[in-house]
Amino acid sequence: MASFLQNVINALQAGSFYALIALGYSMVYSVLMLFNFAHGDIFMSGAYIGFFISSGLVSLAVAGLLPLPHWLILALTIVLAMLATSLLGIIIERIGYRPLRNAPRASAAITGLMIGIILETGNLRLFGAARRNFPALIETRSYQLGGVSITNTRIIIVVVSVLLMLALHQVVRHTKWGMGMRAMAYDYVAVPLMGVSGSSIAVMTFAIGSALAAAAGILYGIAYPVLDPYMGIIVGWKAFVAAILGGRGSVIGAALAGFLLGFIEIFVATIFPSTVRDLIAYSIILIILTFRPHGFFGEPYSAQLRL
Amino acid sequence: MALVQVHNLTVYFGGLRAVHDFNVVIEPGQIRGLIGPNGAGKTTVFNLITGIHQPTEGTITLDGKSVVGLQPYQIAAMGIARTFQNLRLWRHMTAIEHVKMARYSQLSYGLVGAFFGTSKRVREEAETEAIAMRLMDMMGIGRLANEVVTNLPYGVQRKVEMARALAASPKLLLLDEPTAGMNPEELREMVQVIRQIRDRLGLAIFLIEHRMKVVMDLCEIIQTLDFGEVIAEGMPEEIQNNPKVIDAYLGKEVVI
Amino acid sequence: MPIERAGLTTRRVGPVRLLAKMRDAFAQVPLLGWLLGALAAVIVERFAGYPLALDVGMSEMPALFGLENVFGQPALIPGTILYVLLIYLLPLGIVAWLSSWPANWLAKKLLRFPQRISLLIHLALLYAVLSQWASLGDYRVLLLKFTLIAIIVTLSLNVVNGFMGEFSCSHPGFMALGAYAASVVTVLCFVHNKILGAPLLPHAPGLLIFPLSLMVGGLVAAFGALFVAIPSFRTRGDYLAIISLAFTFIVKSLIENLEIVGGARGFMGQPDFASLPAVFVVAALSVLTINNFVRSTLGKALNAVRDDETAANAMTVNTRRTKMTAFLFSAFWAGVAGGLFAHVIRYVNPGSFGILKLSEVLAMVYLGGLNSVVGSIVGAVGLNVLMEALRPLEILKWIVIPVLLILVMIFRPTGLVAFREFKVEEMLKPKMKPPER
Repeated sequence: MASFLQNVINALQAGSFYALIALGYSMVYSVLMLFNFAHGDIFMSGAYIGFFISSGLVSLAVAGLLPLPHWLILALTIVLAMLATSLLGIIIERIGYRPLRNAPRASAAITGLMIGIILETGNLRLFGAARRNFPALIETRSYQLGGVSITNTRIIIVVVSVLLMLALHQVVRHTKWGMGMRAMAYDYVAVPLMGVSGSSIAVMTFAIGSALAAAAGILYGIAYPVLDPYMGIIVGWKAFVAAILGGRGSVIGAALAGFLLGFIEIFVATIFPSTVRDLIAYSIILIILTFRPHGFFGEPYSAQLRL
Repeated sequence: MALVQVHNLTVYFGGLRAVHDFNVVIEPGQIRGLIGPNGAGKTTVFNLITGIHQPTEGTITLDGKSVVGLQPYQIAAMGIARTFQNLRLWRHMTAIEHVKMARYSQLSYGLVGAFFGTSKRVREEAETEAIAMRLMDMMGIGRLANEVVTNLPYGVQRKVEMARALAASPKLLLLDEPTAGMNPEELREMVQVIRQIRDRLGLAIFLIEHRMKVVMDLCEIIQTLDFGEVIAEGMPEEIQNNPKVIDAYLGKEVVI
Repeated sequence: MPIERAGLTTRRVGPVRLLAKMRDAFAQVPLLGWLLGALAAVIVERFAGYPLALDVGMSEMPALFGLENVFGQPALIPGTILYVLLIYLLPLGIVAWLSSWPANWLAKKLLRFPQRISLLIHLALLYAVLSQWASLGDYRVLLLKFTLIAIIVTLSLNVVNGFMGEFSCSHPGFMALGAYAASVVTVLCFVHNKILGAPLLPHAPGLLIFPLSLMVGGLVAAFGALFVAIPSFRTRGDYLAIISLAFTFIVKSLIENLEIVGGARGFMGQPDFASLPAVFVVAALSVLTINNFVRSTLGKALNAVRDDETAANAMTVNTRRTKMTAFLFSAFWAGVAGGLFAHVIRYVNPGSFGILKLSEVLAMVYLGGLNSVVGSIVGAVGLNVLMEALRPLEILKWIVIPVLLILVMIFRPTGLVAFREFKVEEMLKPKMKPPER
């Protein structure tokens, strides 16, 4: 029982990353009918931006110029990195996707892949191939609860993720921008006709999605302190598949599917050797998608890719 | 023997009964009409006959063989072809490619021929091309054979669709509002073409139309559909004066 | 052409007239003539290349038409241009022009025979040109092999993504299946392997077994394609993209867990069967069969299914069989290409069949052009040459190429040469004199 609970906690953490990233994919897909294949690399960029901000702040603190307590550095890192990464997302939308608004969607997908490559290469060029270590901002403390050992980092990660998701829910449900996004998800043609700028909503969607990915990146850096430029490929694509599993048009679905993926991964690893973990996880997902192609919460509407 | 027999055709879409107890017997070479207000279920009847939807109840037979449950391409190969209300053409293909495509089921050269260019394939492709050109010439659009369809005027596109349907060598041709969007000149021409098709090729035609003049001119027997049910059936003169038919159309648009 | 308009005439000025005359002259050169010209050029390079290179300041013959000097050694650009002019363009132009009369005569004569004969002669000539060009360096051989393999991959992907309009991400998976299957066959037969044991056969039947191994690779890949083709009956568009993506991940993961073929470390030791003639023949076969297929009515059914599946169904087209054919045929050639690839570098590992490979193959298809055999050749050759030409930029190459592709997507979303038919008869026939102006 204890190890089961242990795994649940691990799964919650793993799922948090996938959920946060999947939300970004799902939002862009719902609102803009677009797979942003660069999103995984935005997650990676967010992690690196966070790395630099936190390293910078830590050095300043150590040098005595700006002696901030670690928890404040962490908070600042998260906020600043989210802002910076959402800016990155906005730039990507403006330069890469907006010109392709009326082009066949396949072309936009290719563009996304290319942007991803540019981000990875840019990273390699700027920072070299050496891996970077995320500075330890939280003193790990283990709590024992009935045979289950929980570290405070795990708690923080899950709590922050859930808070962000709740915040997103608030934005989507209760703000004007959220309403605009939901409207565009239903009918993107009608929205501009009602006097609401479709482009502004697109920008907002990208900004929020990228910010969430950045948060995921930083939390990931805290959990697994070694960063590498290809982490976007490894983590991001799984989150992408989770977003699809959750269903088109469903933000909740994406979040739940992200956690589900975390659970599948952790619990599969308990039964099978870790090398087949990915294999089984993807196979399960493939089977689910074959029988329910629109995911758990999506509408059974099959988008056609027109040339 | 009747060409096509439809008995008790009924279909439910979720809770909505779109077509109820539809019956028709189509003789070879007959021109029949199906009229009714918008949303009456006329296109649904066509979709059921051609296999796009499966009926909830009822039978459809062609030459005595049941076609319920077959795939649309199988039904088409057996001899029922159609045109569509909102023109369904292939955006990137030329006119003649459209007409040739309907010969798909007649091709026997298979993948081997397709990959390696066997003499059988060369021969069959040449035949297909010849048949397609003949049909297009018959419709008067032969010289536009190699144009991509999206570049062609609307009236010509309608003719391409019709030539395409004819290329499938149908015994029964379903025409879904063939004169939609046409001006009086094109309309006259289309009516003539339809009659010529029946006279020269001997096939039966089942026609959905909103323009009463076309229906009265062409059709030998007309059925009127309202809310999925046949409310009247008979010759043009009978239908014209049928109070139920007039009632169904009352308040709704009638284009004469 | 003089334009007469109310007494005003425009005369063509000297150089323009000369260019027009040249263009007319070259318009009369049939493909045979161009091939002869190319052959002359590579022979000239064989004898005069090295001395001339030294004369213009290069330390050795330029490996790739001097393109690598554009970024690598810009100071040598004028010399490179001179080299290209004297070694390639001049012999090509002169011999092509001179041979136009006899080449036209020959092309006309060949029209009497079945097209196969003419095709074979042209292919043989093309091979002669390529092999002579490649004989001057191992680098060239490798580049040529990779480019030919890329043509097969791009063309096969275009069948599904271009002609049938899906967005299939399963190609790396097919290539992986083919690479491993073909490698297992040849290694089983000819190589002493730790796990698979001693070779089963002596070295002699290698020539026979290699094509067989490629076919096995293709068939295994085609079998794998069932897992993508069958779902495609019910779903299209985005959902098929996801399923095909999951397929690629699963194949990669599967191979990583198969210790018998080396798992994540890879599989090596493939015998050296992938010679240039072998690769060329396979590539030529792929181009011919795929082109034959897409030009037939059976092949055009792919377009019909793409543009309006319901209408295709209503017009007697068996849409299921069409989709199945497209996926399996496409996967077959991807598997063959994978097998070739494995035998060229004689090592294969699952890591090379992931997202990066997917980006690469998609880039080639979309760069060259959808629904177009010519487009695929352009895309494959173009991207490979570009990657080599930009090699001096090292890692920045991976910023220039994606940017280029994004630009193509913005300005020509379906690719450079999309929807263009490849008419073999047109290419092989003699070129007539243009009408008198």
